[in-house]
Amino acid sequence: MTVEEFRLPDVGEGVAEGELVSWLVAPGDRVEEDQPVAEVETDKALVEVPSSYDGTVEELFVEEGEMVPVGDVIISFRVDEDGAEADDSGSADEGDVDETSPDAGEPESAESDDAAESEPATSSGRTFAPPSARRLARELGVDVAAVDGSGPGGRVTEADVRAHANGDAGAADAGDAESDESPAPTPADVDFDDRQSVVDARGDDGAAEPSPTIDSGSSPEPAGRDTTLATPATRKLARDLGVDIDDVPTDETRDGEAFVTDEDVRAYADALESATAESAPEPEPVDVDETAAATADATAGDTSTASASAAGGETTAGDETVPYRGVRRTIGKQMERSKFTAPHVTHHDTAEVDALVEAREELKPRAEERGVNLTYMPFVMKAIVAGLKEHPYLNSELREDDEEIVLRKEYNLGIAVATDAGLMVPVVDDVDEKGLFELAAEVRDLATRARDRSLKPAEMKGSTFTVTNFGAIGGEFATPIINYPETAIMGLGAIEERPVVRDGEVVPAPTLPLSLSIDHRVVDGAVAARFANTVMEHLEHPLLLLTR
Amino acid sequence: MVVGDIATGTEVLVIGGGPGGYVAAIRAAQEGLDTTLVERDAYGGACLNRGCIPSKALITGSGLAHEAGNAEFMGVHADPAVDMGKMVEWKDGVVDQLTSGVEKLCKANGVNLVPGTASFVDEHTARVAHGGEGQGSESIEFEHAVVATGSRPIQIPGFDFAEDHVWSSAEALDADTVPDRIGIVGGGYIGMELATTYAKLGAEVTVVEMLDDILQPYEDDVKRIVRKRAEELGVEFHFGEGASEWSEAADGGYLLHTETEDGEESTYGVDKILVAVGRQPVTDGLDPENAGIETDDRGFIETDDRTRTAVEHIHAVGDVAGEPMLAHAASNEGIVAAEVIAGEPAALDQQAIPAAVFTDPEIGTVGLTEAEAEAEGFDPVVGEMPFNASGRAMTTGHTEGFVRLVADEETGFVLGGQIVGPEASELVAEIALAIEMGATLEDVAATVHTHPTLAEAVMEAAENARGQAIHTLNR
Repeated sequence: MTVEEFRLPDVGEGVAEGELVSWLVAPGDRVEEDQPVAEVETDKALVEVPSSYDGTVEELFVEEGEMVPVGDVIISFRVDEDGAEADDSGSADEGDVDETSPDAGEPESAESDDAAESEPATSSGRTFAPPSARRLARELGVDVAAVDGSGPGGRVTEADVRAHANGDAGAADAGDAESDESPAPTPADVDFDDRQSVVDARGDDGAAEPSPTIDSGSSPEPAGRDTTLATPATRKLARDLGVDIDDVPTDETRDGEAFVTDEDVRAYADALESATAESAPEPEPVDVDETAAATADATAGDTSTASASAAGGETTAGDETVPYRGVRRTIGKQMERSKFTAPHVTHHDTAEVDALVEAREELKPRAEERGVNLTYMPFVMKAIVAGLKEHPYLNSELREDDEEIVLRKEYNLGIAVATDAGLMVPVVDDVDEKGLFELAAEVRDLATRARDRSLKPAEMKGSTFTVTNFGAIGGEFATPIINYPETAIMGLGAIEERPVVRDGEVVPAPTLPLSLSIDHRVVDGAVAARFANTVMEHLEHPLLLLTR
Repeated sequence: MVVGDIATGTEVLVIGGGPGGYVAAIRAAQEGLDTTLVERDAYGGACLNRGCIPSKALITGSGLAHEAGNAEFMGVHADPAVDMGKMVEWKDGVVDQLTSGVEKLCKANGVNLVPGTASFVDEHTARVAHGGEGQGSESIEFEHAVVATGSRPIQIPGFDFAEDHVWSSAEALDADTVPDRIGIVGGGYIGMELATTYAKLGAEVTVVEMLDDILQPYEDDVKRIVRKRAEELGVEFHFGEGASEWSEAADGGYLLHTETEDGEESTYGVDKILVAVGRQPVTDGLDPENAGIETDDRGFIETDDRTRTAVEHIHAVGDVAGEPMLAHAASNEGIVAAEVIAGEPAALDQQAIPAAVFTDPEIGTVGLTEAEAEAEGFDPVVGEMPFNASGRAMTTGHTEGFVRLVADEETGFVLGGQIVGPEASELVAEIALAIEMGATLEDVAATVHTHPTLAEAVMEAAENARGQAIHTLNR
């Protein structure tokens, strides 16, 4: 038997690193070749990394949430000699490995998975942690070698072990919840009757309810003793937290004197803090709309906004914490980068789309004959391409380092798709060269595969402009966040009958609200408006699309 | 089942009542498990009966006699006479007290004690044969078992422990007279402890060792100090020689014949020959294969970090489970075995297990040496404090040796320590604690140590490693 290291394989062309989102195995687990052992996140694609060995998981070298360069060792397996020649590239090895024989003389390999779950292997390497922390790690099913130590030189404390265990448990719960959840609504094919206004949805979430607080919220009663027994460490903790140790309530006594522990000090400090917090409430969160729009198609957006505003950075009893990891964090980072790099300006307009509705009705049966479900998206895409061709700065990329704006000559549109895992943006290449039916089929295929996470990373690269269709879920206008480093993004509201004024009369007509965000460094408002006009012109007169 | 057997059942069957077995049995009983301990000889095992305790008793006795007779430099004049019979009697008293203490502790904790020799019938049954023919036997059905059958001295061809003049360590610790000349085969820790003891008791000691030095696992400067001191006590060393045979000598004594690798022969006149070339596991009569337990090519039972054998509900602890063959390691393993059986999250998870050699001066080591630390990928930093700079060492009259600390330069974590000198066996405990707690050199150096004590040397070594030593020149 040998121990084989396994390196993070190249999971997509040109991908240099990935975030290890979650481990699907634990040390001691028996794995078979091709069995997924980890989920790795690159450029928003969640890729499962398969084992290239039959064997037992020996050690995990990377923590969940860590970025791992391609080629780094992430896991080691104890494998049978026959299976040892499997290579590191992650490709399946065709070796004649006996999948069933347990490793003779290795009692842990004879164990089933459930045994391994409650018994993390004692670390084979050296981890600086006192025996009490090691025992706690075993108790909590934590591999002490995987814990980040906060002590001097990285020494692992009991608190570190607890924190690690909580983090892991949270991640696992989130994973389960994710898979159990009913699928999130998707932008492409949602029945309009089901949609709910963003405002209503937020109201139902109870944003108006008072934030949870401790007890009555009145300041805790200081004990006001003359003498208090406590260890030096506890006294230091009290000093650090700005608490008078004689005021800390306790029921415990030693030799007849009040005895205060670390926990007492912390509880008292927390109570003091929340009492103060209550008397001076946090300001209302700013511009929720912006956040909601940024993640308009991601259902998680609402809850995260709500919890952030209620807790104001503090977690109170009853709150639920969800790890900010994986796709969610990737999206967050991307949004943050875009929002804080490119000065966003959003231009709003509404297209009157009677002709478009008619055109689609006319074409739909023909599309169905060819097995294609024709939505409005292909029309919008073609109209956008028309706009981009006339206003090339909207189809550009600012390269700050080179001090140049690249005007892209390809028309590759990113289509934002809400999935259970979060926002994915598959790319339809060369929209200018494709017909409506072709586009309809391609969009449908990409959206489906985005939702079942079978997109390849390459399929989410190379867009020059992005479309997000929040209207499928609800809302008219929003502020889409640019899919950086692109220069612009167009958000679509729902096509609905709205009142319009025609010949001095208010009449109902199908309209399509458009929200166009631009990077004001590259594009001015006037150009944006002209671009929107071109797009609208093509949507209002679909025959113009024939000229493209 | 054999006709006439009495079948009983137990949750935990512990086989062997040494420091691994009795500790496992007591902890298992403390965990609320119905526990049965089978011991065929004497509670306390080799440690209490034929090893640690008797040897330390004799080492102390002989050391006291030697010190008293060599304290003229302090103005103490004495000519101590050793009554070996009396010393052995005292030693036996100590042993008896301890072994009966073990028995009482087992009973008080509710352990069922069964005298006899256990052997496995199958994975869940053992048969216990009670002392000798006709005494009957019983079958015990168990849910879990802990094998703690220990080890025994290795016998070499041509040297039969049944001969009066061929000793194992057991006989060497039971002798009621001191032989004039003793030939010791093996310069390991048992050979060296007994060499110094008998040299102090007045015997002429000759050590023959196949290798080129004594105490094979230890660093050169550690060995050198112990060897030099032994030579001062009159011990004669012959390296590169293996014992080949013995013969009777004309003077009524015996001749110990040795041979080098090149075939060169030598002969030493002796009265007793102590063979101390190592220990081997005791599994004879146990029939471990009946339970599916596997042993390695040296006969040791293979176990995992939860002390489990290949058969998950059967554990093995102590010497029978292989290195380190140390009583304290056995006890630790015993506790882990019992707790694992009880479903506790126990494991063998120590960073280091200390070891002590009770030579003169003593050796105490724990963790990594500088070379080992380097091999493990650390950038080791080393600090030393020689005992000749220790006030307390000077007042004891024993200034040989040093305390050495090995730490990781980057983080300051203490990785190991080697002590040779007075009370090294005690002092090493502080370094062991430092390693387990993940203490840094700064932690050790900034911990105020009592003055005047030998333990100050540990603090000084830590300061030396940090280039801040006060009482020695920094390296």
